[in-house]
Amino acid sequence: MNKYFKMAAGGAAMLAATALAVPTAQAEPKQGGTLTMIYRIIAGHFNPAIASGTPTGIPGTQLFAALIRYDDQWRPQPYLAESWKIADDGLSVQVNLRKNAVFHDGHPITSEDVAFSIETIKANHPFKTMYGPVTKVTTPDKHTAIIHLSAPHPAIELAMSSQLGVVIPKHIYGEGNIRKNPRNSQDIVGSGPFKLKEFKPGEYIIMERFDDFFLEGRPYLDQIVFKKMAESTSRIIALETGKADLTAFASDPQELTRLKKSKHLTLTPDGYSAIGPLNWLAFNTTRKPFDDKRVRQAIGYAMNKKLMIKILYSGFAKRATGPIHPGSVFYSGDVNDYAYDVAKAKALLDAAGLKPDADGIRLKTTLNFIPGGAVWKRWSEITKAQLKKIGIDVTLKASSDFRSWIKTVAGHDFDMTLDSVFNWGDPVIGVHRTYQSTNIRKGVPWHNTQQFRNADVDAVMMKAGLENDLAKRKALYAKMQKMVVEEAPIIYINASPYHTIYNHDRVGNPPVDSIWGTSSPMDNVYIKQ
Amino acid sequence: MSDSESTTQAGPPPADMDEIFVEHPFRQFVAMYFRNYAAVAGLLVFVTIVGAALFAPMILDLDPFEMVDEPLLRPGEGGHLLGTDNLGRDLFIAIVYGARVTMAVGGAAAGITLFIGLTIGAMAGFYRGWVDEVLMRVTEFFQVLPPLLLAMVLVALFSPTLETVAISIGVVSWTGVARLARAEFLRLREQEFVKAARSIGARDRRIIWLVIMPNALPPLIVNAALTVGIAILFEAALSFLGLSDPNVMSWGKLIGDNRDYLLDAPWTVTFPGVAIFLTVLAMSLIGDGLTDAFNPKLRER
Amino acid sequence: MQFLTVVIRRSLYAFLLLLAVIVFNYTLLFLVPGDIAETIAGESGGASAELMAEIRRSYGLDQPFYVQLFGYVGRVLQGDLGSSYYFNVPVLDLILGRLGPTLLLVVTSLLLAIFTGTLFGVIASQRPNGIFSHFITILALIGFSAPVFWTAFLLIILFVSMLQILPLSGLAEPLTESGTWQWYLDVAYHLILPVVSLSSIYLAQYSRLARASMMDILGSDYIRTARAKGLGQRVIIYKHALRNAVIPVITIAGLQFSHIFSGAVVIETVFSWPGLGTLAFESILRGDTPTIMGILFFSAFVVIIFNLLTDLAYRIVDPRIRLSNTA
Repeated sequence: MNKYFKMAAGGAAMLAATALAVPTAQAEPKQGGTLTMIYRIIAGHFNPAIASGTPTGIPGTQLFAALIRYDDQWRPQPYLAESWKIADDGLSVQVNLRKNAVFHDGHPITSEDVAFSIETIKANHPFKTMYGPVTKVTTPDKHTAIIHLSAPHPAIELAMSSQLGVVIPKHIYGEGNIRKNPRNSQDIVGSGPFKLKEFKPGEYIIMERFDDFFLEGRPYLDQIVFKKMAESTSRIIALETGKADLTAFASDPQELTRLKKSKHLTLTPDGYSAIGPLNWLAFNTTRKPFDDKRVRQAIGYAMNKKLMIKILYSGFAKRATGPIHPGSVFYSGDVNDYAYDVAKAKALLDAAGLKPDADGIRLKTTLNFIPGGAVWKRWSEITKAQLKKIGIDVTLKASSDFRSWIKTVAGHDFDMTLDSVFNWGDPVIGVHRTYQSTNIRKGVPWHNTQQFRNADVDAVMMKAGLENDLAKRKALYAKMQKMVVEEAPIIYINASPYHTIYNHDRVGNPPVDSIWGTSSPMDNVYIKQ
Repeated sequence: MSDSESTTQAGPPPADMDEIFVEHPFRQFVAMYFRNYAAVAGLLVFVTIVGAALFAPMILDLDPFEMVDEPLLRPGEGGHLLGTDNLGRDLFIAIVYGARVTMAVGGAAAGITLFIGLTIGAMAGFYRGWVDEVLMRVTEFFQVLPPLLLAMVLVALFSPTLETVAISIGVVSWTGVARLARAEFLRLREQEFVKAARSIGARDRRIIWLVIMPNALPPLIVNAALTVGIAILFEAALSFLGLSDPNVMSWGKLIGDNRDYLLDAPWTVTFPGVAIFLTVLAMSLIGDGLTDAFNPKLRER
Repeated sequence: MQFLTVVIRRSLYAFLLLLAVIVFNYTLLFLVPGDIAETIAGESGGASAELMAEIRRSYGLDQPFYVQLFGYVGRVLQGDLGSSYYFNVPVLDLILGRLGPTLLLVVTSLLLAIFTGTLFGVIASQRPNGIFSHFITILALIGFSAPVFWTAFLLIILFVSMLQILPLSGLAEPLTESGTWQWYLDVAYHLILPVVSLSSIYLAQYSRLARASMMDILGSDYIRTARAKGLGQRVIIYKHALRNAVIPVITIAGLQFSHIFSGAVVIETVFSWPGLGTLAFESILRGDTPTIMGILFFSAFVVIIFNLLTDLAYRIVDPRIRLSNTA
């Protein structure tokens, strides 16, 4: 187990092992067929090198191959890289590419492209910590790339996987400003198992089998239709009637409750441990009275998390207790869980000097929330109702569009906000950014907008980010979780109840056999009939 | 189509300036109104809703946002007359409290609509010439932009609160009132009694507001009743789309909040819809009643 | 010739109006908090400060307002509505891609409302105090008073949930190959509920209007003359009176076009209809400014053209106008 992050490259490691891990896979995979996947939104483009987010990542990982992939036990597997080796001092990674790999336009995939991709991601991807320590990428020969690091970087393997570490062709995306490159959405030239057939903005994307894919015999499917269906009622009907085979990131409790009754459908929470989605309430820790941790803790006690999970998610969601997702190898439950306790909450507010006035009001404050989603609106209303019970009068601040919410929160112009933040596999990528005091950057979203400053937490994270030994690293993160939860810059409510739903009469090897779930290549998926 | 049909008796030229606006056969008006049973029913519904909006919060003293029971209880279940919504809030209480907001926003928006519309229409019709030309171009401008879309953009621009919603609705819906007011003013400004007022040296402002306006009022009052109804529908549509103040309970918001539960809990969208429907219906019936009352002749047809 | 002068003058007005719309839109949306940097940051899950500044520079957002405004007006006049922040494709392409479904919805609803409305009105005018006449009055009140999304929901509850004979949403089933006859059939099938919901507001209104003007016309000298000539009731109604009863309906329909488009925003949202309305709504939520401006401009453009056409249609249908209004 403790070898996950030191796994020496075994060139012979065969991928078929992942297929065997699926218990239902008695039948032999078949070639052919179309998989229809529905999703609540469709991205504007599908180039994961310059954007995170699952709408880009799900089709993006079909179109573009990453260097490595993961199984469902956090074990890295060869993918576009036939093998790789992290140097003993942890300061470089040698990547050996497959020799038969070509892009969708027939150009061979070379180490040049790998170097270009990593540089592009480093310059454009929002996750700065991912390739932050990368100093340069050298290319001794066409099939070998060496990633040089300024310090040991245990997150490097995750950064090379799934939608985070895709390889894009230099001869297509190397010219001009990549953000404005029209080929991020049309005429995409990728490296993955499927190539773009048609993209209709706002509606659907159709991807078809790439015959010269570097893994022999893959993919099984002829075609993937990825279609936007914004309304949960439409998705329910499409899945129930068998018109759609698959959906992912389903979290609407109505949808889950109802679809669970369908005999031909399987609902599974598997495949989200790398994404690690957490829903929480964050404070602006520099604003009075939220600079007082007793006030933050009081709000933690006043929120009936069990009830919220029940009402918002019909019990489908797991409780989140701290900054790391319960599905992560680094998760530790040894933290204060702020069990619902109104009396304790009131006592803390008293101690902080917030006494009730004649109307029983101790504090008037505001709560922002992400616009557009019904669940967020419900969440904000429940929070308002619950905080009213301890004398906090919350005015909800609706943002009419997503970017004005971002502007408000990133501009540190808020008291409290609801938010959903992903762990993105390794804590270095998706967790540190929220708590590091060096990462407070006004105007930039999801960069410690709480403005939380704690030197001890900083020190522990710094150490954990450089530690290549898994057990030691786990211990450091356990400490970090305990400290952060005690300081309460954020009240953790739940892990998003994301489910993958598929028609098990039709879909063989459903894309749930990786920590990345549907944000990983579906070359293994096949249609049964 | 023709002028004589669309408006009222021109009103005899008053001998004295002060008599101009006391000259209303009010009794006949009320009698005419009450002969129209539908209009009386509309008035009853309207009074009930306004009463609920004004007094229910005082009597009930509840929080419509409080989660009182299990979510999505059927009407009658658990002692909730209309059931509960997706967050376990009592639908009946929510609708009663929603009346307040809906009526307030509807009323305020209608007020703004009438104010802008009357001012612009009166000026255009009274001054004619280039003033009319300019103001009518402005009116045309606001007519070619899809009102709901523009209101959505405005609400998005100023962030959704009760005030911005009311103002946005007013800003996008005054054009009809302006055209109507302009037509009335164009017609009335040539009447004898206006000429008389002018000949005794009355100022423009006095002529507009005290001489012409009272005579132009009947069709405008009918229009005002309809305007309130339209403003309520507007508010409902914006709330339904999620562009409303989340701190207050309105009927449109209830429908918008519960729309995902349409197939499983149809009552959560049906009842708030009935409330909107009845209110707007009441406004139209009142409008019809007023038309009849103002134009006893029309009813004969 | 005079007709031509009118057309030219009207077109000039239309052009100035459009110019005003462009300037207004730009000014309005310039005031919206947040810009493309936040949009991109939001979509891509965060962005560094340098990157955000770089994005602003590359879109010219660091320029003073008037420079940006003139640039925009100039580009729009050349037919360039800019690029969507979200989809990174030309706004015009996005709009044209969504125009079909919206026109299909709006025009079908309008035609249904005009046709059925006039028909009902004519029938009702035969017996002004008959049951059908009252029925239409009541229907008009209901159509006016019910929020259109609520009507849609009631229809969904009845036809989708209970009777299960009509589809819930979308333009067609997800996998039907577009262009085939099955697809057209499927689209027609999916069109039923949205069209019925949308036209419900106007149908009754038009029937009331048609009834009133029919009654007006039936009492006029013109018809009395026709009657005196010994023409049958049927001929009088359908040949002479009907033509005149349609005029006010068309006029009102023309004036209401922008309102009907507004209704389409709501109906498209309810039925996930992939038209301009859903695009507009989603663009507002996403803060996709160029797309919002583009749609506002485009819908104003369509309304202006439509008004121009109804104006001309009006002149053609009614010869009296052709003579009197050309001055």
